[in-house]
Amino acid sequence: MSRTCLAFTSLLVTLAGCYKGPPGASGDASADGTADGTASEGGSSGGTPEAPELGGVGQVGMRRLSVDEYDRTIADLLGDDTRPGATLLAEDVADPYDNQISNQQANRPLIEALEQLAGEITGRLLEDTARRDQVVGCQPAATGDEACMSEFTARFGRRALRRPLSDEEVARYVDLGLQFAADEDDFYAGVGVILRVFLQDPEFVYRVEVGTETDEPGVFRLSSFEVATRLSYFLWGTTPSDELLDRAEAGELATAEDVRAVAAEMIADERAMDRIDRFHSLWLGYYRLPHSAELTTAMRTETRMLLEKTIMQDQGDWRGMFSATGTFVNDFLAQHYGLPAPGSDAFSWVEYGDSGRAGLLSHGSFLSVAGKYGDTSPTQRGKIIRKRLFCQVIPPPPPDVNIDEPPPEVDSPCKIDRYNMSRIDGCSACHSLMDPVGFGLENYDQQGRFRTTDNGLPECVIEGSGEIDGQSFQGPAGLATLLAEEGLLDTCIVYQSYQFAMGHPVADDDQRYVDDLVTAFADGGYRFDELVLDLVGDEAFLYRREEEG
Amino acid sequence: MAIKSLHRRTFLRGLGGIAVGLPVLEIMLDRHGRALAGGGAMAKHFFVGFHGQAMGGDGDPEQDRYRPDTLGPNYDLKQATMPLGNYNDVRQQVSIISNLRIPYNNSGPGSWNTEFHLGAMPPLLCGVSNPDDSSACRGITADQVVANAIGAGTKFATGLQYNVQPSWYLTDSAPYGRDVISYKSDGAGGVVPNPGQTSPQAAFMALFQGFVPPDPTDALAAQRELARRKSVLDLVHGDIDRLMPRLSAADKIRMQRHLDEIRDLENRLAAIPPDAGGECMMYADPGADPPIGGNNAGTGGDGFDTNAGYSDEDTRARRFSDLVHMAFVCDLSRSVAMQYTMAQSHMSAFPFTGIPYDQHEVGHSVGTTDAVSQILAWQLDQFAYLVAKLRDTPEGAGSVLDNTAMVLLYEGGHGLDPATGDPNRTHSTENMIVTVAGRAGGMLAGHHLDGGGLHPVNVLNTAMRAVGVDEDLGEVVGIVPELLP
Repeated sequence: MSRTCLAFTSLLVTLAGCYKGPPGASGDASADGTADGTASEGGSSGGTPEAPELGGVGQVGMRRLSVDEYDRTIADLLGDDTRPGATLLAEDVADPYDNQISNQQANRPLIEALEQLAGEITGRLLEDTARRDQVVGCQPAATGDEACMSEFTARFGRRALRRPLSDEEVARYVDLGLQFAADEDDFYAGVGVILRVFLQDPEFVYRVEVGTETDEPGVFRLSSFEVATRLSYFLWGTTPSDELLDRAEAGELATAEDVRAVAAEMIADERAMDRIDRFHSLWLGYYRLPHSAELTTAMRTETRMLLEKTIMQDQGDWRGMFSATGTFVNDFLAQHYGLPAPGSDAFSWVEYGDSGRAGLLSHGSFLSVAGKYGDTSPTQRGKIIRKRLFCQVIPPPPPDVNIDEPPPEVDSPCKIDRYNMSRIDGCSACHSLMDPVGFGLENYDQQGRFRTTDNGLPECVIEGSGEIDGQSFQGPAGLATLLAEEGLLDTCIVYQSYQFAMGHPVADDDQRYVDDLVTAFADGGYRFDELVLDLVGDEAFLYRREEEG
Repeated sequence: MAIKSLHRRTFLRGLGGIAVGLPVLEIMLDRHGRALAGGGAMAKHFFVGFHGQAMGGDGDPEQDRYRPDTLGPNYDLKQATMPLGNYNDVRQQVSIISNLRIPYNNSGPGSWNTEFHLGAMPPLLCGVSNPDDSSACRGITADQVVANAIGAGTKFATGLQYNVQPSWYLTDSAPYGRDVISYKSDGAGGVVPNPGQTSPQAAFMALFQGFVPPDPTDALAAQRELARRKSVLDLVHGDIDRLMPRLSAADKIRMQRHLDEIRDLENRLAAIPPDAGGECMMYADPGADPPIGGNNAGTGGDGFDTNAGYSDEDTRARRFSDLVHMAFVCDLSRSVAMQYTMAQSHMSAFPFTGIPYDQHEVGHSVGTTDAVSQILAWQLDQFAYLVAKLRDTPEGAGSVLDNTAMVLLYEGGHGLDPATGDPNRTHSTENMIVTVAGRAGGMLAGHHLDGGGLHPVNVLNTAMRAVGVDEDLGEVVGIVPELLP
């Protein structure tokens, strides 16, 4: 049977236009842009706000808190760091990010888990009087202390729903609380039911963006609180702090410049580093590693420290992470890699020297993720490099190719011979995009250790040379050099960051916004912190476009 | 799982709640113990299990080690079916229907094209053809047909859906529907995925909510807790109603789905508490779920980390089975869909077979029918455990199993892979086997039958008839007559 795998590598532009929102008619005349009864604000003082001149406003729908965001939010709101969501909520699909709107349909397991979690989390809080008193914020004078119940409700409700509550809303929750306080003769029984409402409220579970209509149909200006929420979940992966909400309320998030200035403060916080670490781990797939806890922790620490050094301490060229001449290891990890031990359990910088390693691509974290059939998979490694580092689309194999089968048995025990065999027929066009890339990393096993032979077979000496788009390279160091020369990585990381920030792949509407980010990233010397600030500091960040039906 | 005994309470306590199924007490039965006094039939229960596994290894000419050599009763056990000899010879309750097939190359009712893992599953689950090999069903699944027909009045009227395997376990890809085995109507003419609960702990709490503890203090506390939950949900519901008009059209659809599920939960809380009585009782809380195992990155062979890619599905399956048992005994639900493993499962097979590969790679890379049969046996032991529990629980003159129809589906058979044209492949819907249990409606138990090339959905149709649902699933018409003599 004649088969052809057309060797088209659709570049970035192919991603654009792929995304379509979920079905549903567009247009909603009743959207008035304000929470019922709350003060109208959001950067417009009367009249219809203008849509951003440059466009670039993407379609965004309401987004459910991911499990990770839920747990961080619970920790911030209630001081409960047990990560309860991870125990009862279904895992989020990592696609590659865990916060993509297309994977967030409500279903019974979600509703059941949210309801049970609300009860459990509340029960745990009420048993811990110190934490409880901190959350409630006032001491009730009596079981039916309405003032204290109202104070707690208004203050906590603002945190939980990420906007001020109207008096009418507060009254509704307080009525319920006082009723249960009286029924059970316990003020905190009332607190408990109010907490449980908030923890299941649609505006807690979802980041609902409504905004105000602009002069461009379908484009809405977000309220300052909605902007604060976008900002906080993108930068910190959690709910806005009281301070950030205060700033929203005070009108300090009214312009793109304002938002950028606030973000510049937020990015210096450790929580931003947590978020950047998480983004990179989802991007390259090492968010969960198949190793022992000790090895996993060591590899994650190594990569995080390089991220932190490059982005936060040096504030240098982000691409330098791929060409770093050394790495952070402790004795355990150094021994694992066969690098000089720093003589401590603490992580410190060790130069790679002439080991052939360089940067993130020689970290165990990255080298652990793309294996198959009991060994490294040059195909899988090549694929993840193409997809994630270059944002290229590898066409799926033709329907008559069984991708689940290992390469055909050939006489040679050596992997490279088997792979060469698989590339003699119609598959060659596609596999030549992936396999030669992966073979350039073959000297590194699935735990990131250096090796010279295939499966310990002396006859199978690994050359460790690879090829990408006609250029040959050797090992992670060589690949890093080519990455820089190809000039695709820097554009790709912008697309990836945007997808993570907005919950969907880049689509046509987003194009201007993303193009500008790509330009600014290059102009600014490829600083990742600046990319993040440029992303939240674009005028379009303050708007949403209604999804098309 | 230990059993916590509860006191018997008077029927009809809790008037004002909506109707809910009640366990069958002897006083309600006619003198033969086969039907309710007054002429009503005893409630029937329906179970569909799914195991993301084919019958043999790639390239292995041995088709399977499952199908008995003999037809009829007292069939011989093979490597894969050995667990059926346990549990006091539960084989006597289990029938095996071999020689089934799903048509491919888009040829006929309930067919798929050539892309096995995504393509072949929808026709198996919902009987509707899948010409473009998409991963989603275009019709509702058997558990939902049955729930719609006979579920009304039970606490979980729309059935129970459980997922034993909670994680996809791979980096750089996602299940895209391979984790979903139930599809339901969206109420507007469409079909939506109906994913299963992955947490046995959450499922436990949902199932037994409302059971009244024997101790009066505990009972009062439980009553208060129920009141809180109802009031809280009432307010949440109101908040959604107030929010809805302000949402965009697309968000309205999302929120409506959320609200529909809240309504379902409200109905379950409003139901008359399930009354412990007869064999109906609450299991002791199984406690926290086993932790989710890390991604296995497709690892197999040397250096395989046995902790990766496994979330103690063995324990999870046991816990879910216990819940299914009580759901049927207490008549809390009449239809259950249980995914034991996902389609194209990448769960590690090591913990229960000692084979250092994930389940999917055992079929392809190990590639022997021997190895695959060890995985089949592991899962069949789980199924046998549940069948035996239902058999050993009296109901009327017989057992709960006598009023139950259970169907166990496998993702694949063994034979021609239409994508490559190669024989003896796991990516095949030739030579499929479906295993059933229960004697509801006179279904034939304990036999090996030759399916004569029928569609697996014909077996589902038969089991649906057995619980009184006279419908065909999707495009596949008719039953396996011998199975329902």
